Amino acid sequence: MIVELGHYALVMALAVALIQSVLPVIGSIRQDAGLMALAPAAAVTSFFLVLLAFIALTVSYVTSDFSVQNVWENSHSLKPMIYKISGVWGNHEGSMLLWILILVFFSALVAFFGGNLPAALKANALAVQAWITAAFLFFVLLTSNPFQRLNPAPIEGRDLNPILQDVGLAIHPPLLYLGYVGFSICFSFAIAALIDGRIDAAWARWVRPWTLAAWTALTAGIAMGSYWAYYELGWGGWWFWDPVENASFMPWLAGTALLHSALVMEKREALKIWTVLLAIITFSLSLLGTFLVRSGVLTSVHAFATDPTRGVFILGILVVFIGGAFSLFALRAQSLKQGGLFAPISREGALVLNNLFLTTATLTVLVGTLYPLVLEAVTGSKISVGPPFFNLTFGPLMVPLLLAVPFGPLLAWKRGDLLAVSQRLYAAAGVSLLTALAVVYFATGAPVLAALGIAMGVWLICGSLTDLAYRAGAGRVDLQVMWQRFKGLPRSAFGTALAHLGLGVSVIGIVAVTAFSTELVTTMKQGGQTVSGPYTLVFEGLRPNTGPNYTELQGRFAVSRDGEQFATVTSAKRIYTARRMPTTEAGILTIGPSQLYVSLGDETPDGGTVVRVWWKPWVTFIWIGTIIMSVGGIVSLFDRRLRVGAPAASRKRAAAAEQAI
Amino acid sequence: MMFWVLAAVLTVAATISLLVPLARTVSRQDNATEHDAEVYYDQLREIDRDIEAGLIAGEEAEYARAEVGRRLLKATNANAKSRPGSSLSSAARYVVIVFLPVMAVIGYLAIGKPGMPAQPLAARIQAPANDETDIRTLIAQAESHLASNPGDGWGWDVLAPIYLNLGRAGDAETAYRNAIRLLGSSASRQAGLGRALFAESGGIVTAEAQAAFQAAEDLEPGNPLSSFFLALGLAQEGNYAGAKAAFEKLAANSPPDAPWMPQVQAHLKGINANLAAAGEAAPGPDEEDVAAAMEMSPEDRMAMIGGMVDGLDARLRDNPDDLDGWLRLVRSYMVLGEPEKAGDALDRALLNFEDGSAGRLALTKAAEQFGLTPQRVE
Repeated sequence: MIVELGHYALVMALAVALIQSVLPVIGSIRQDAGLMALAPAAAVTSFFLVLLAFIALTVSYVTSDFSVQNVWENSHSLKPMIYKISGVWGNHEGSMLLWILILVFFSALVAFFGGNLPAALKANALAVQAWITAAFLFFVLLTSNPFQRLNPAPIEGRDLNPILQDVGLAIHPPLLYLGYVGFSICFSFAIAALIDGRIDAAWARWVRPWTLAAWTALTAGIAMGSYWAYYELGWGGWWFWDPVENASFMPWLAGTALLHSALVMEKREALKIWTVLLAIITFSLSLLGTFLVRSGVLTSVHAFATDPTRGVFILGILVVFIGGAFSLFALRAQSLKQGGLFAPISREGALVLNNLFLTTATLTVLVGTLYPLVLEAVTGSKISVGPPFFNLTFGPLMVPLLLAVPFGPLLAWKRGDLLAVSQRLYAAAGVSLLTALAVVYFATGAPVLAALGIAMGVWLICGSLTDLAYRAGAGRVDLQVMWQRFKGLPRSAFGTALAHLGLGVSVIGIVAVTAFSTELVTTMKQGGQTVSGPYTLVFEGLRPNTGPNYTELQGRFAVSRDGEQFATVTSAKRIYTARRMPTTEAGILTIGPSQLYVSLGDETPDGGTVVRVWWKPWVTFIWIGTIIMSVGGIVSLFDRRLRVGAPAASRKRAAAAEQAI
Repeated sequence: MMFWVLAAVLTVAATISLLVPLARTVSRQDNATEHDAEVYYDQLREIDRDIEAGLIAGEEAEYARAEVGRRLLKATNANAKSRPGSSLSSAARYVVIVFLPVMAVIGYLAIGKPGMPAQPLAARIQAPANDETDIRTLIAQAESHLASNPGDGWGWDVLAPIYLNLGRAGDAETAYRNAIRLLGSSASRQAGLGRALFAESGGIVTAEAQAAFQAAEDLEPGNPLSSFFLALGLAQEGNYAGAKAAFEKLAANSPPDAPWMPQVQAHLKGINANLAAAGEAAPGPDEEDVAAAMEMSPEDRMAMIGGMVDGLDARLRDNPDDLDGWLRLVRSYMVLGEPEKAGDALDRALLNFEDGSAGRLALTKAAEQFGLTPQRVE
């Protein structure tokens, strides 16, 4: 019964979303408070309805209810509990349900935390959000219904794709969706503002926390996905420029630009067109990503099932929303009044530069992702646009941008003094150059580019620390005052510094791995030895092992340095019994920031085993950097200023402050 | 029934939650400009903080203040107040009350299965068996029992023949092996194991299967099942004389109306035909051929095998009733890595056996084993 109740709740969520799509808009046009107040109530209601549906599906997975077709297709009664739960979104229907759940979750958040928003903006934004919700609920109910039933029920399920049976699946999609779908709020705010015709500095301030939240989740989600691919696929790579990865990376690039644009718009009322357009583009790219991944246009581990009607349906949603948004923008573009003016060398100028580079980079990735698809559709010839294309286009675009990053926060608004800023950055530049020299010195024969790349990472780190120090008044006031000021800095200053610092850490990791990692493919027999980086691996042989729903051959390696064994690392080849599907479980040994990565290959006829060993110095910096970036986002999110705008509440605060004095 | 009660509760709850904001008389009128003004006041305070921190100096600060001040003025000039709940709200109330339940119920009835209960696996397995219980459910119950008590030999012994009848040869093999390990060898278990192996290899009496049948034969000489398959094994090896003797012995020891007699007769007929043809061409390699093959280079060996297969192919064109011959031919082509020829042979073979006949079944099984799909199926 819980299954059918969930199904019913999902249908009712659609009805609520339809009401929420129409009535609040009428309310905002007629300035009717009741109709506008309907929006948050409907948003919360549909969140609980979709949540109920999601819980119903989860219960079916947990109890192995194979009378639900979706459960039968993607679960197995012997699967460990965590994969039964994560299996809920490890398939097309379930993942779309999660998509919608997160969409209505964000609507509900706006309803809860949007107390500082003007009622009309809130009503319209939630109505736009409901359009998206309704479109996707139609999509799920008509083409991808997770509540299809089977009668009689089969006695055993077909199991989840073994590659997806991993903790990664429990974390990566929800995080990624939080980011992907979170940008829908920015989109809804943009459309609501265009409908309303009020696009000003205050609007930008209200959009910013949502952009930040989505950006933070997307950053963490992409990083998680990258690490997952790194250890699960057993190829030792952490980023493949795979179309599916690009699909998540493009909204990130555009979202990063949006984050910075909104800052300018809030402060100076400039870059309005940039900000509104970026809000629309970012979510459009999220939709495009959903289309590419879910329609089966791309074949990958993400394209759970290919069904042309689904592709056409999502394409329809894509066209209507993106086309509609751009048309509305075109209609309203003239009414966007130019805001504050600024000199080219200024904080605004730096952020425009940032936008230009980021959007160009987005475009590059877009071309690299879509060109092969278009070419195949038009001429039928298959080409693959791989890492070389992106390294040649995306890489050079990033270098000047990364060099410019430390300047941005230090430049003054309106009219900046580049010379003064450069002087403040002398120390950072000096440390970076010293690092470059040190790299060349210690890693004899290191490529010059690698030394410069690492120096660039250090430059970013030192630059963001310089920014914090300058804000605290370094060099102008004594230490104690400096500490007081440092503590009093707004959270967003720390957020900025952390995000830029994290970027630097990631850059160091990327450069170090690209330049200094070693790969070794060899055949080993029991007792055989091989050397990777500064370590020696001794193969201790293969031994069979049985897991809950797989059997595996484990290969153990003793790792030693200077003749002293200090660890063992285990890699395995698994066969998942239900689908007879083999996977490779890489053995990863983390030593400081670096990793030793061992992957078992086939057995050779003479009793040896093909073994791939990578030594990846400083590889974890890549992900540690992204974690620091996400933390920066969270810290910024707690900035007091982002909650300003509720007249009643703040008046009370002001009164309290007066009494205190 | 219970479902509809809960659905109704859900519907009422959702409807009420939408009606509350419409019914509420709004106490404080929301004014969009107040929200804007609040943001700009805060920006002014921020400029003060920046001046204090020495981040922005006199003239610049004044400019910034003036700019925010202008925004503040502009915001407070555009004054629009919203109206509290009006006639519009009451119209909206009717929309919610009518549209929400109707849309939900109609929509759900169109795609849902209201009467269908949830069927968690655990509940289905624990439910007591009755006449209507599906055989598969019984198996699943037995399986879950054996999963927690793998040492229950009788359980395996009961389950093994059921697997075999359902065509789950791999599971049958495991079950028979477990039963033999736990309860000891017996003729019926060994013969069952042999049949499981026979089925797994797609209708070939492999050496392993032969060993199992031989074990059964040793435990219970003259067991018709093991005798039959041992004879079939001889025929498949090409030892037609031995096979003929064995089949004839089995026929002599069996009552004439025994269920396996028609099969025995069919095989005898095929063997006799082969023996007749053997005068013209050797049906299979004899010991000398095999010995010679061992010394040949791989190319020569392949050529010799190819020649023999071609011979078999030619012979079957004249003598198309020979089921074992066909099976051998299909298998040979697969071994030689020529799946197209194997598929072709399969198609030709199928022409000679009627639907539902034992021969057709064996061929289909072999096809499944090799992953072949018959092209010409009438």
